[in-house]
Amino acid sequence: MFDGLLDGYTRSILIFAGINVVAAYSFYVPFKTGQVSLGQAGFMAVGAYTAAIMTQKFGLPFWAGFLVGGFIAGIVGVVVGFPALRIKGIYLLLLTLGFSEIVQVIALSWDYVGGAQGFRQIAFNRYTLDYLVVLIPLLIWFFARLERSSLGRAMDSIHQDETAAEVMGIDVVRTKLFAFGLGAMIAGFAGALYAHHATFMDSSTFNIMMGVEILMFVVVGGGSTYWGPLLGALFLTLLPEFLRTLREWLELVPVSWMNFFPANRVYDFLHEFLDFENAKRLIVYGIILIVMMILRPDGMLTRDQLRRFSLPRLGRRHG
Amino acid sequence: MAELANEPCLAIEGLTKRFGGFYALNDLTMAVAQGAIHAVIGPNGAGKTTFFNLITGVLTADTGRIVFEGRLLDEARPSRRTVRGIARTFQNIRLFPQLTVLETVMIGEHCRYYPSILKGLRDLLYRPFGEAEDERVMRGNALELLEFLGLADQRDQKASDLPYGDQRKLEMARALATRPRLLLLDEPAAGLNPHETEHLDEVITRIRDRGVTIILVEHDMGLVMGISDRITVLNFGTRIADGNPREIQDDPAVIEAYLGEDEAP
Amino acid sequence: MIYQQVINGLMLGASYSLVAIGYTLIFGVLGLLYFAHGEVFMVGAFVGLYLVLYAHANIYVALLGAMVACAALGVAAVYVAVRPVAKDRPLAPLISTIGLTIILQNLAVYIFGGQQVAFPETIKQTLYTIGPITISSVQLFILGVAVGLMVLLWLFIERTKIGRAIRATAENHETAALLGVDVNKVILVTFMIGSGIAGIAGVLDGIKNSGVSPFMGLSAAVKGLIVMLLGGLGNVFGAMIAGLMLGMIEILSAAYIGTTERDLFSFMILILILIYRPTGLFGTRTADER
Repeated sequence: MFDGLLDGYTRSILIFAGINVVAAYSFYVPFKTGQVSLGQAGFMAVGAYTAAIMTQKFGLPFWAGFLVGGFIAGIVGVVVGFPALRIKGIYLLLLTLGFSEIVQVIALSWDYVGGAQGFRQIAFNRYTLDYLVVLIPLLIWFFARLERSSLGRAMDSIHQDETAAEVMGIDVVRTKLFAFGLGAMIAGFAGALYAHHATFMDSSTFNIMMGVEILMFVVVGGGSTYWGPLLGALFLTLLPEFLRTLREWLELVPVSWMNFFPANRVYDFLHEFLDFENAKRLIVYGIILIVMMILRPDGMLTRDQLRRFSLPRLGRRHG
Repeated sequence: MAELANEPCLAIEGLTKRFGGFYALNDLTMAVAQGAIHAVIGPNGAGKTTFFNLITGVLTADTGRIVFEGRLLDEARPSRRTVRGIARTFQNIRLFPQLTVLETVMIGEHCRYYPSILKGLRDLLYRPFGEAEDERVMRGNALELLEFLGLADQRDQKASDLPYGDQRKLEMARALATRPRLLLLDEPAAGLNPHETEHLDEVITRIRDRGVTIILVEHDMGLVMGISDRITVLNFGTRIADGNPREIQDDPAVIEAYLGEDEAP
Repeated sequence: MIYQQVINGLMLGASYSLVAIGYTLIFGVLGLLYFAHGEVFMVGAFVGLYLVLYAHANIYVALLGAMVACAALGVAAVYVAVRPVAKDRPLAPLISTIGLTIILQNLAVYIFGGQQVAFPETIKQTLYTIGPITISSVQLFILGVAVGLMVLLWLFIERTKIGRAIRATAENHETAALLGVDVNKVILVTFMIGSGIAGIAGVLDGIKNSGVSPFMGLSAAVKGLIVMLLGGLGNVFGAMIAGLMLGMIEILSAAYIGTTERDLFSFMILILILIYRPTGLFGTRTADER
């Protein structure tokens, strides 16, 4: 799909943005029940390695590896979800972080998947973008339904007051496990897509910083609505591209206008900074995070805003 | 059905709960009759809230048993007990602040409409973009309860935006939505103004008239004496009196331990 | 052989302890998982390195400079990422300090490059043999500084007025405020002390590994977190002991089981502690109670 429309560069950026959106949704599901996970990168790794084993070692087609990868990640998610039931807040954060680290250590020491040399020559999947174009609307559709379903409401109630939800008859154990497992499965899908697009991965590919970035997508976009993860992941992934465009505009400014002291320095600094190598991109991310937490701790988009926006429609439905 | 009427709704035998060396509840035995409004009173720290937490399963008793409708109440998790037919409100209101009034009540309905994969597939097939069948039923039930408690007009407001008195009522609506046969009210009059309290005894009586047995923990003696069929008095985790309002008011032990505090000149 | 490993374990453990002390102090006072702490450690190492490289400072000046710079960084962190952030959302300060982590780490990559930089020799290497143990002057120095710091900190917390204020605040914010403790000041001081110690730990780590890298903060942070948990959240003494224990466990498992399993061990410990004994080995209140 889109072969004639997009150049390779744009295509690659859209693919990474799409994978990030899927990863952000994987964080959003457990977060909807109040579980904050720093380990989504770990689940991505499980999905990525499983899928790559399927395609490379067993010669299965990509779609099969993709499904198996997501499935296995989901099972691992439920297994990790059990101890996660008993603990909250900072303890859960540490648990998921520890899980993510353990996955990395296993990837590093298991020679079957390349060990320290990394997993090489994974079959390239030509259709990654097509998968994303189908998967992301499916996810949005799912979350839109979830939002209006009893399961979604139960998840919200657990997020807001777990004890009260339990006393009101909500099966907190089942709901939280489901959320954790589903989140892990979605992360597994994202990992499978990533591995077969990048064609190489090693133990440090899915590191803690990746888990932190995934958390950031949702926090910046807004964790109280299912549009938040989409917005956050797209915004943060595409931001460097916008800023690069900004630099091209900067180059349109005639040099003679800027050719005096402090302006030329400012120009040079901006010109150099806006090229957005990885480190600079991350510095800007960090600044955005802090500023967001000060100005809009609930993220760019909140449920209250959306509710105000769509209240008339809701009212009719109650009719 | 006839024998059920003789059977107490809730029978408690030798219930004990210790926190360290402190007895929050000590060898409590009592029975709550079907369809009664049964008040549990006592000074602060008498063990009333512990009593509620033991019945709902938030805490586990050290010894003793609770029999609900003739069957041992041995479910460990609070949600299972809610499914059995026991609901409660909280002393310091615990609503879900971000949910709307209607959604809050629908949470209470959940324990009777469990989602299943089969239902999910059915709804997916018939109404891929609409709401599930159960949702419609639940919404209808919830609206009926909101009408009953006079909250229907606020149904789309956020729960945390309601005035205090309405939040109390909303907690009751949420508890009633689980269709309990036993409802535990934890200080429903706390923080209400006199006008709202006056309205409250009518609300509680109407709930009882729907066939719900009520256990009421309350400090407001006017309310307790006005509507209770029977009263149990606790002090330091021990039962010191049990009887109808008249008897309780005349009981010297009660006056000594409890009423004395407030009403002695 | 075993004695040698014990010495190595103590060396590793001492740096874990120093990092974890800061974590646990800050957690005690603020209830905050201060993510950027590992990066403060990294900044300390770089400050020390640059003082040695460009100011030709001796090791004591480098340690002092790293401590002062990191203490200042700690204060800056409070003003930038802790104070202005919404108090009513438990996640907000955690995420803003994650933001700070990202900024510091990548600023270091941007300025110093992504490679490890060698730390020049600042202490003359001599080997001492005491019975079965051989210990170098560098190792002695590192152990000495670490233990000395911990003793000083212990005295500070137990014996001084501000130390008592820190303990009171860790116990309960409101009560401490009612008793006339200036909670804001206590928070500042806590950040200064924790960060200063982390700075020194960073330099010590640079000497030990003869190198400094922008990524050293992350692994220090993770190990520090494990130690904090092991010692009990907010328990300073627990963090000291737990750090030494973890260092010992890692070295011994690396020596007798295998190097890759060594990290596996520490994370397994983390998870087991979380599940079975979230109050840590030495007990403390849990995070939920605040």
